[in-house]
Amino acid sequence: MRRRSLISGAAVLPVFAIVGRHSGLGADPIKIGLIEDISGDLAMMGLPKLHGSELAVEEINNKGGIMGRQILLTHLDPQGDNARYQEFARRLLQRDKVDVLIGGITSASREAIRPIVDRQNELYFYTNQYEGGVCDANMISVGAVPEQQLSTLIPWMVEKFGKRVYTIAADYNFGHLSAEWGRTILKPLNGEIVGEEFIPLGVSQFAQTIQNVQNAKPDWLYMLNVGAAQDSFFEQASAAGLNLPMGSPIKIMLGFEHKRFAAPTLNNMHAAANWFEELDTPAATDFKKRWHTKFPKEPYINDMGYNAYVALYMYKMLVEAAKSTKKDDIRKVIDQGGACIDAPEGQICIDPKSQHTSHHMRLISVDAQNQVHVDKDFGVIQPYWLGQIGCDLTKHNDKEQYSPDHLPKPS
Amino acid sequence: MFADLFAYFYQFADVFAFLVLSAAGLAVIFGMMGIINMAHGEFIMCGAYVTTFAYHDGLPLPLAQGCGAIAAGAIGVALEATLIRPLYSRPLDSLLVTWGLGLIATQGTLIVLGSSVAGIGTPSGGFRVGGYGFSTYRMILFAASVCVLAFIYLLFMRTRFGVHARATMQNAGMAQALGVRRNRIYALTFGVGAALAGLCGALYAPTMTLIPTMGSTFIVEAFVTVVVGGASVLLGTAPAAVALALIRTGLNGVYGQVFGQIGLLLAVVLIIRVLPQGFSGWLAKRAS
Amino acid sequence: MLKRLNGPQTLGNGRGFWVCACLALLAALIYPVFADPYDVGNFAYFLIWVFMALGLCLMWGYGGMLSFGQTFFFGIGGYAYGVLSVDLGNAHGMALGNFVMAVVLAGLTAVILGYLMIYGRINGVFFGIVTLSVTLALAFFLGQTAGPEWAIGSARLNGFNGMQGMAPLSLPWFGGDIDLEETPLYYFVLVLLVCTYLALRILVNARFGNVLVAVREDSQRTELLGYDVRLYQLGGFVLGSILAAVSGVFYTAWGQFITPSSIGLPAAAMPIIWVAFAGRSDLTATLVGTFVLLLVFQTLTIYSEQAALILMGLILVLTVMFAPQGCFVGLGRIAQWRPVRRHTMRARSPEAG
Repeated sequence: MRRRSLISGAAVLPVFAIVGRHSGLGADPIKIGLIEDISGDLAMMGLPKLHGSELAVEEINNKGGIMGRQILLTHLDPQGDNARYQEFARRLLQRDKVDVLIGGITSASREAIRPIVDRQNELYFYTNQYEGGVCDANMISVGAVPEQQLSTLIPWMVEKFGKRVYTIAADYNFGHLSAEWGRTILKPLNGEIVGEEFIPLGVSQFAQTIQNVQNAKPDWLYMLNVGAAQDSFFEQASAAGLNLPMGSPIKIMLGFEHKRFAAPTLNNMHAAANWFEELDTPAATDFKKRWHTKFPKEPYINDMGYNAYVALYMYKMLVEAAKSTKKDDIRKVIDQGGACIDAPEGQICIDPKSQHTSHHMRLISVDAQNQVHVDKDFGVIQPYWLGQIGCDLTKHNDKEQYSPDHLPKPS
Repeated sequence: MFADLFAYFYQFADVFAFLVLSAAGLAVIFGMMGIINMAHGEFIMCGAYVTTFAYHDGLPLPLAQGCGAIAAGAIGVALEATLIRPLYSRPLDSLLVTWGLGLIATQGTLIVLGSSVAGIGTPSGGFRVGGYGFSTYRMILFAASVCVLAFIYLLFMRTRFGVHARATMQNAGMAQALGVRRNRIYALTFGVGAALAGLCGALYAPTMTLIPTMGSTFIVEAFVTVVVGGASVLLGTAPAAVALALIRTGLNGVYGQVFGQIGLLLAVVLIIRVLPQGFSGWLAKRAS
Repeated sequence: MLKRLNGPQTLGNGRGFWVCACLALLAALIYPVFADPYDVGNFAYFLIWVFMALGLCLMWGYGGMLSFGQTFFFGIGGYAYGVLSVDLGNAHGMALGNFVMAVVLAGLTAVILGYLMIYGRINGVFFGIVTLSVTLALAFFLGQTAGPEWAIGSARLNGFNGMQGMAPLSLPWFGGDIDLEETPLYYFVLVLLVCTYLALRILVNARFGNVLVAVREDSQRTELLGYDVRLYQLGGFVLGSILAAVSGVFYTAWGQFITPSSIGLPAAAMPIIWVAFAGRSDLTATLVGTFVLLLVFQTLTIYSEQAALILMGLILVLTVMFAPQGCFVGLGRIAQWRPVRRHTMRARSPEAG
């Protein structure tokens, strides 16, 4: 059941008052706390996430819940404010005593919640793709990480378009780390970064950047721009006649730019995605039908919303395998390996060493008519990097976020 | 050689246009009326949204942009009559009211229209000079910014309305005693300021992502340009925009956008330190 | 000195007021006994922000200087505490040492920035814009410190994702430090807040406060009377900024986390909104009003989902329409209304800034 709101709005608001059926057996419900932004700059990302969670909860409850217990979903809107993320994480964990916490969009919001989750020693699902590296036993990461997105995309782009790359990145952790990953992956391919620019968040004017790109004459652009303001780059580049191929881990399936910008602005944009709405498998088609039935006005089912949906099913699988909602019992299930579910993208599993999720990655491209095509199927890719550098949650809990320039100290 | 010079000019013109267009409406409202309009970004957003909807309904782009500006102006007039008028002697209260209005506008737009709207493509194509491609529309924006400055000058210096408006701002009581319809002047001036903000949104709509909080990307530049310009919109806005555009373009070109942004803010601090009344105060002193 | 607790610069000087205040304090002190630990921690969290609001009240309400820079010093205090806590540790009372050092650092910065602005004759709205520019510059700068080279000692600033790893405040005690979390933190913050409030009352009713208000009313006249106007302004600015830094340290210690988004917009505008709403011309109004506003805003956000921001905007608009001096100053005036009184208690503040 959702908390009722005092004032309901029109159009895009999710349906309130979902009355869960109480099964004859299940006594007290399983409480799931959800913290997603549905106001402010990130509302575009947060609303599909809320919808995904609601759809999953409704489906699971209709089939009898988890171990006969209904799910009670409590959602709070942090309005894009990190302080509110902290306040609400504390509230959900301490006052409402939820069994699991899900949420967070930016890495900053995740890092704001993590100390609180660690101190309360509860379980937390982070459902976004991000720059990778969090080695924390209290967190399960559902989104794709660089070794899944970039180690597939960048070699493909180099092979198809060439070795000269120009990086345009948002000037914060995600941008810097992804740019670093780019450099690392390009080196053995003899790729060359002919230019690298970091743009402060909120900047929307790119004339100088476009000129710099034209000066450097790259083969393709590695786009790591984040936020609505920085997305203006595409329109401005297209107007200036830039017309270069672009590769990005965070466009198309995340912000559905190909639906929002007039063609051919996003022409020749490529990404490696675990989920995109144009995916055409039977499981995906069925999932999309159910989503659009419940949320007919949804402009696009993005990978964040899909991950949010899948996370609920992962939690269900874990609780049923552990026969308990306690974090330690669930972790035992993960440690044994084989914690897998059949998701609309294919089968995905939680890696015991890093508690990140494997994904079925496909390379997608946008053409001049804003249509999405699949150009390559990479199969299932494990989140191997953290295990490789020494993170092993079956043995020790680091509670740290690592990166290529911040590796664990050898023990 | 020519290509490089043109490229520098193009960069400068681009930043100059952005500063002038985002600051013009705020300069009129603050400079002429002393109201700190924290909802300035929302008037910009209003202009952008109305333009987009009008365009998608079939109007040609310039007409749609005109609609955007007029819609913002109309809302400005309505707001002025109801909420803003009591606040002329209390500029810091205008900050609070307009901040609240901004919250209502952004969230209301989100609830009613959704979190994003399909955009308009940038019109007019591009042209090449030397090895670079440029967007014609950015040059149109530059031309528009110059026109806006000319319009403000002509409106406030050469029309009867302008004379009345300046008189009212200087000394409302005396102007009223001389027969000026004070409330009408207030409403129209605020409307002009709001319309200019809406025009900014309308002009930039084809180049940007349309979300309810899109106004926030203009706010900082608008405020610093207005304040560096000083109290007089006629004397101050243009030199302030020129100075800040030169600084921003220079830093962008040499050090990149990060230093461009930080450098701009620190330059503002320096300029105000040297010219505590802004450009218009300095120019006024020199003139007298 | 205790005489100065009452005076012309503060609302609420009679016995009725002090009785109510003592009752409120008593209620606050016994609150954790019967309340949920979450609610206690939540109230402690609200109290943390009140320091920053009181600082702005002093600077703006009494001194007439509208500063957008409270979050600048909030950030300096918070980041300084983070760096010191990670590098020097928090054991054996070092946490309090870090607290003090962070606040002192912020104070020194305030002296420098204040000197440059006040002695540069920047005032009015220009003061606000300069402080806003400096604040945004710091936020942008910290936002791009993501790389490993941006570290002070072993404390990585970590850019936009925020600095982590600092320990909560702790008090040295026999048999082990007491970590200041939940209820202990509540008491610590409450006691410190009460002391700060009383100290500020004494200050504003003493010569410093009276001169500061005189400067706000007419700085030229004050100067002609022989007071060093700029020194008093600088004092008000530095003191107000130090209080902001105290908030910053507490916030960082409370959540073991601080990001540049606590410094930039819209965070920078929030203290101004709170203080303007509550009533900037009076300390008590600011203290009570800020706490109530934070509570109301949080409750709205929890219970009215997407409508919360609209309701918050409405509250602000209605306050200006109906209680232009600030909601709680208005309430305070009503509480003090006597039928005989025919004049307001003190002059309205001019809006020069």
